[in-house]
Amino acid sequence: MSNATHQASAWQPPVELDMHHPDPAAAPAAVAATTAAASAAARAGEASGLAALAAWPQWSWTVPAFFGGVAALVVVALAFDATDLMGRSFAASYALGVLVVTVGTAVKLSLDEVISIRRLRQIDGLRAEADRLTRANGHGEALGFADTLGDFYAGRADLAPVLHTLGHTVNDAHSDAEVIALIDRQVLSALDQRAYRFVLTASRDTALATALSPSAALDVAIVLWRNLKLVREVAALYGARPGPLGSWRLMRRMLANLAVAGLADSVGHVAVDALGGSLAAAISTRLGQGMINGLLTARIGIAAMTLCRPVGFSPDNKPNLKRIRAELMSVPKEVL
Amino acid sequence: MKFPNWNQLAQVGEQALGQVNVIAGRMLEGTLRLGVTGLRRSGKTVFVTSLIDNLIRGGRLPFLDAVASNRFLAARLRASPDRTAPRFPYEKYLAALTATPPHWPAATTGVSQLRLAVRFTPGSGLRRSVQPMATLNVDVIDYPGEWLMDLPMLNQSYRDWSALTLELMERQPRRQLAARWLHWLGTVTPDLRPDESLAREGAALYTDYLHACRRSQASLSLVQPGHFIEPGDLAGTPLLAFCPLPAGSGEHRAQSLGGLMNERFEAYKTQVVRRFFVEHFARLDRQIVLVDVLGMLNAGPTALYDMRMALTACLEAFHHGRAGWVSRLTGHEVDRVLFAATKADHVAAGQHANLRNLLDMLVSEARNAIRFEGAMVDTVALAAVKCTETVTTEHQGRKLACIQGTPLGRQRPTVLFPGNIPDGPDLFPENVSQPYRFLDFEPPAGVGRDGRGLPNIRLDQALNFLLGDYLA
Repeated sequence: MSNATHQASAWQPPVELDMHHPDPAAAPAAVAATTAAASAAARAGEASGLAALAAWPQWSWTVPAFFGGVAALVVVALAFDATDLMGRSFAASYALGVLVVTVGTAVKLSLDEVISIRRLRQIDGLRAEADRLTRANGHGEALGFADTLGDFYAGRADLAPVLHTLGHTVNDAHSDAEVIALIDRQVLSALDQRAYRFVLTASRDTALATALSPSAALDVAIVLWRNLKLVREVAALYGARPGPLGSWRLMRRMLANLAVAGLADSVGHVAVDALGGSLAAAISTRLGQGMINGLLTARIGIAAMTLCRPVGFSPDNKPNLKRIRAELMSVPKEVL
Repeated sequence: MKFPNWNQLAQVGEQALGQVNVIAGRMLEGTLRLGVTGLRRSGKTVFVTSLIDNLIRGGRLPFLDAVASNRFLAARLRASPDRTAPRFPYEKYLAALTATPPHWPAATTGVSQLRLAVRFTPGSGLRRSVQPMATLNVDVIDYPGEWLMDLPMLNQSYRDWSALTLELMERQPRRQLAARWLHWLGTVTPDLRPDESLAREGAALYTDYLHACRRSQASLSLVQPGHFIEPGDLAGTPLLAFCPLPAGSGEHRAQSLGGLMNERFEAYKTQVVRRFFVEHFARLDRQIVLVDVLGMLNAGPTALYDMRMALTACLEAFHHGRAGWVSRLTGHEVDRVLFAATKADHVAAGQHANLRNLLDMLVSEARNAIRFEGAMVDTVALAAVKCTETVTTEHQGRKLACIQGTPLGRQRPTVLFPGNIPDGPDLFPENVSQPYRFLDFEPPAGVGRDGRGLPNIRLDQALNFLLGDYLA
């Protein structure tokens, strides 16, 4: 299906392959539409085992019911076992009980973490794939990508309408780059706007809170907490669902931001100069600091958007700090 | 004394302001004249029909920015401001395309035009506060593509034109096609009296030659004068009773055949060509040049070369340039030109990039000339009405990207491998007699019945290039 195979191959004269009057010499062995039908078939391929079973009508509902029942039984048994274990260890000694509960919680948390890191990796993979498809600009591969993305966002009720529209819009004539561009415009731009609102709120929150907070230690705490919350909000919006510990890279960026928050005291003076000293000089140092923190939060948020987006931002829809800066300029008015 | 109620006053003021807004909005209605240019059989009529249908229904234009950002409201037809020109029969053409069985509109024989009013929400907040809803009037005209070939004649004298035409005839296949006219030319002595019947005889034979050029295997494009082929309402008038004569046949003396021909040529230029140009092409804002690249590949190298010359020649007549606010006030310049390879659905979708590259190569001279004038130029491979699906089949152990559709004149859909478009300049491999077989297709049955507009390939991207900034 790819372009390369055609160009590498020898000259192929025009030929008509009539499906309805199969000529034994020129009969097409298989005709597969490259449209959604093919990718749907590919998706169905995963469940081909079940599909074979489903060929017998009397088995159609009993098989899933049987396996579902077994699975439910196992889950119930495990739950009973766990409760029993907890009860018995508490009975033996209080310390042992605490230990068991701690270990259990840690296992559960690290399982969550593994899943969340897997999802982040998945997003990285999707982004790399989208980038490759855009640059190669071949034909026919992006539909598979669209399906993967559809599976990735399968449980999202808020994305169901746009994904449905996307299915209508994309046709077999679109090149890979065009399909990616359509995904970007139709599915992800809606998410971008919501993420942008999160970033805006968070940066206003940090700006206001640090401007009003009495101590530097409280500043750090506020910035830490609000940025963590923002990153998790943005990541969850794009489908990354990070655990409480977040992923490595998201954390690293945040730590860098915190280091800067400690410096904000000295930067504040520069900011006052930059922003103009029309406001009362005494409070404007605090305000400047708040605005710097707000802008840094916004940058964290935008970094999180860039990291969690399954398709990289294109040059013409890159988020910028301009609007956020304008929004932050209104903060002093609210404080005074 | 009764004090006015402030609330009431405020309300009246608000109403007045709203009214001013509406009036200002009407005054601020933008107008855009879109020139759909293309030689004959390049698909102008179908393109205009699909453009109108898609803008009215708005369901298949994801790459039009105004649609993508939900700012596109709706579009509807309006009467053209020029009351003398016939209306473009959009409904008739759409009915033809959506009939059972569907068929293509017949060849265009005259000028027609239409205005389409597009309502949208302005993109910038500042403009939105003045004008919550803006309107763009898009004027489109349709005409026989043959007439486009008249435009290069505007800059030529009878003598120059004759010399060029006769020079073209020295080469095959024109020499063969013009044999009867050339024989007639041999019998004519230069200093002959201006004889009306002789002039008509020459013109008739010359017209036969032009028809032969069009119908020939090579499907030649450089066919002048265009009204000889598609006379419109000029059939039989003395305006069309001339033909080229070799230099030195007394074209500057009144009392000679050459003088008569010269006089008629000049009359044709001023009364037919210049009028056509001034009425329809002089005030264009945007231009799309439709090129049937695939048809030319089918016809062979001569056709391709001929089309290239014809296109370059007629594009010289247009005023291209960068439209600043001064030129918007004083006159019009075409500041964006899009070259489009039409009928892109006749090849598999994977070939579209090659088709576009080939178009780039074919129009490179014209494109550079336009760019030099300061206008923006782009190329695209599009299909106004998508008639085929791209499918992958296996043939003799190889995977082939084929197309599936109903070829013209047949009842049942078929799967066809039309030949790949090379990505280099070697278009016609040696010792292959007919390397390409791009069949024309019937419009698919039930097309446009879903109410989302006619299915198309990259019409939205073309529209975004041509209208996008007006809809900002």
